[in-house]
Amino acid sequence: MNRLKSSIMVALAAIISIGLVLPATQVDAQGSAALGFPPKKEYTIEPGKSINDTLTISNRDREEALSLSLRVVDFTFNDETGTPKLMTAEDAPRTTWSLKPFLTIPKTVTIEPGTSQTLDMNVSIPQNQGAGSFYSAIMYSTSAPDGGNVGLSASGVTLVFTRVPGEVNQSLNLEKLGAFDRKKDSYVYFATEQPDTISYTLKNEGNVAENPSGSIIIKHMFGKETVINDMNPNDSLALIGQTRRFDSCIKLKQQEVDFNGSRSEATTCTSPGLWPGLYSVKLVAHYAQNGNPTQDLEGKASFWYLPWWFIFISLIALAILSYHIWRIVRYIKSRRSGASLSKKRTSLRRKK
Amino acid sequence: MQGLFIKWELRAVKWQYLLLEIIIAASLVMFITSPVSASMRLQERSLYMNSSRAGDTTFYKVSFLYMSPDPIGSVELLFCNDPIPYHPCVAPEGLDVSEATLREQFGEVGFSISEQSANRLVISRTASTPSVAGKSSYEFDNIINPTNSDYAFAIRLKTHSSTDASGPQVDFGSVRGQITETIEIETQVPPMLIFCFAEEVEYNCTKTNKVHYSDMGILDPQDTLTAESQMAVGTNASGGFVIIADAPPMSAGTNTIDSPDVPTPSRPGTNQFGINLVANSSPQIGENPEGEWANAVASEDYGEPDVYKFKSGDVVAYSPNVSLMKKFTVSYILNSSPDLRAGVYTTTINYVASGRF
Repeated sequence: MNRLKSSIMVALAAIISIGLVLPATQVDAQGSAALGFPPKKEYTIEPGKSINDTLTISNRDREEALSLSLRVVDFTFNDETGTPKLMTAEDAPRTTWSLKPFLTIPKTVTIEPGTSQTLDMNVSIPQNQGAGSFYSAIMYSTSAPDGGNVGLSASGVTLVFTRVPGEVNQSLNLEKLGAFDRKKDSYVYFATEQPDTISYTLKNEGNVAENPSGSIIIKHMFGKETVINDMNPNDSLALIGQTRRFDSCIKLKQQEVDFNGSRSEATTCTSPGLWPGLYSVKLVAHYAQNGNPTQDLEGKASFWYLPWWFIFISLIALAILSYHIWRIVRYIKSRRSGASLSKKRTSLRRKK
Repeated sequence: MQGLFIKWELRAVKWQYLLLEIIIAASLVMFITSPVSASMRLQERSLYMNSSRAGDTTFYKVSFLYMSPDPIGSVELLFCNDPIPYHPCVAPEGLDVSEATLREQFGEVGFSISEQSANRLVISRTASTPSVAGKSSYEFDNIINPTNSDYAFAIRLKTHSSTDASGPQVDFGSVRGQITETIEIETQVPPMLIFCFAEEVEYNCTKTNKVHYSDMGILDPQDTLTAESQMAVGTNASGGFVIIADAPPMSAGTNTIDSPDVPTPSRPGTNQFGINLVANSSPQIGENPEGEWANAVASEDYGEPDVYKFKSGDVVAYSPNVSLMKKFTVSYILNSSPDLRAGVYTTTINYVASGRF
């Protein structure tokens, strides 16, 4: 018995040693992990109605087939931007805005090399469903490999938003407004580098995802005005409960680009050519779901743009001005003291 | 006393004071004689679009509450992209109300369409003071919806005492509408997100080397184990993309190698697993992102050379808007302390490419 025990111990030690010494096991290569998919889908569906739509998934790899498993996961917001926080755990609790019960998709799909496949999807809203926003994500996953220290798998996600029309609770509150420094990731009141973005932060306390629209007017202290006509150019959403920051370029640069063999329009922030000085920012916006009261959003803020070169020149100008004032004062003083001296002399002469 | 008064009078008629006196007098006249009522914002404004599908011919119901007690003879409805009344009006693309009809009215009634164009309607009646306590609604049929679903639009409302929407406005306000369902137009390119991942990938994702794991070798407290993998990503969606790295800790049974929560230099002799997405010199590994398009970048915590981090659920790369294909090289480092328990330490990182909302 003891001999058996010792044999097992030796064998275990050997296995552990091998584990320490040998690299992780090699595995055969898996199929394609190169896919194209729609990033977002949006629907408006009345209670008791449904929508049949399609998802076009492409296998970008020209040599290997792409095998994907599909599932619906809930998501919420990750931060103040539009990054989703996916609830991928199998036992993740269902959110109150989950679209899972209403969304039907296939479980798996295999796509031949270099081709696309159209998958049927259906969103059905029950008759007794109240109004509001419902959203979940469709996740496409490649299979995970067995082996290596670091296994790599790729997944794609389509965010699906559905509005159920009716009377909803709409509440957006403006929390912040002003110039935004993307590098510092913060609002700035005093900018030494020319701001190219005006941001505003809204807190959504309603029961519906909102996308506000409107204008932002930026006015220089000497009256020059710049207008951002579309303050939400990407039609971004503030999710339920989210404090969402929306970024708007003061000046947009638009260009046509070739993406995947087709022309698309791309926009980037470009230098707005601001003069140094004090700027006032005025936001005039509104938001509403179809048939619900239009809500107004208004806010004012200000910021200074004082580049270092301007501060330097201003300091030199101030120094020159101070010097000249000092000289004038000195001159006046010397004139006065000269005048009083001559007065004294005159009075002395009179006395004599 | 009389002398003092005469002195003051003489000073008052001096020309230096004359301008100031005129300004004060003009201000007093303005305050005393200007009308008491001023424009107010129409309340409880709403728009119901029976169909929110792009290009559909449908009916709109515009509702609002009259605020001022002045007589109302006309209401102007101006359809623009921008709700601000003093901004130039750009008509929503595709919208047409030139054939609209007023089919129903509730509350303050007696109106009929008196003027109309592609983006303007004027409804008129004999001027009378609003007497209905609640809000009024007007249903317009035969309106052709805008065709652009990317932007919301506004109906600028103005009430007037005149019957032709001329003269001073009584009240004003705007309602918001949006096209939420699009129609397939063959010339439009649907938004697409392209993503690939492997040890080596082609810039445009048409080919990968099909290796989906990295074997980092044998752990040694004196040495840093390294590996690389690549991913390429691009999108024509205006909202851009994010890439999220999701993985359990690197472990062998119950023993784990922790990852720093903040970017940290490689420290041989300590337990450390981290990644970044740029070229490093310590150790010499990785490459900077390839591609001329500047929108797509590595996240701040993963974009600094020679410091490494891994936190499951972190965004490792993103683009705030449209981005042509960009290739990122992910560098992995693995350090171990001398007292690390023996075993085969593994993890599987799932890189998730997602659109933004």
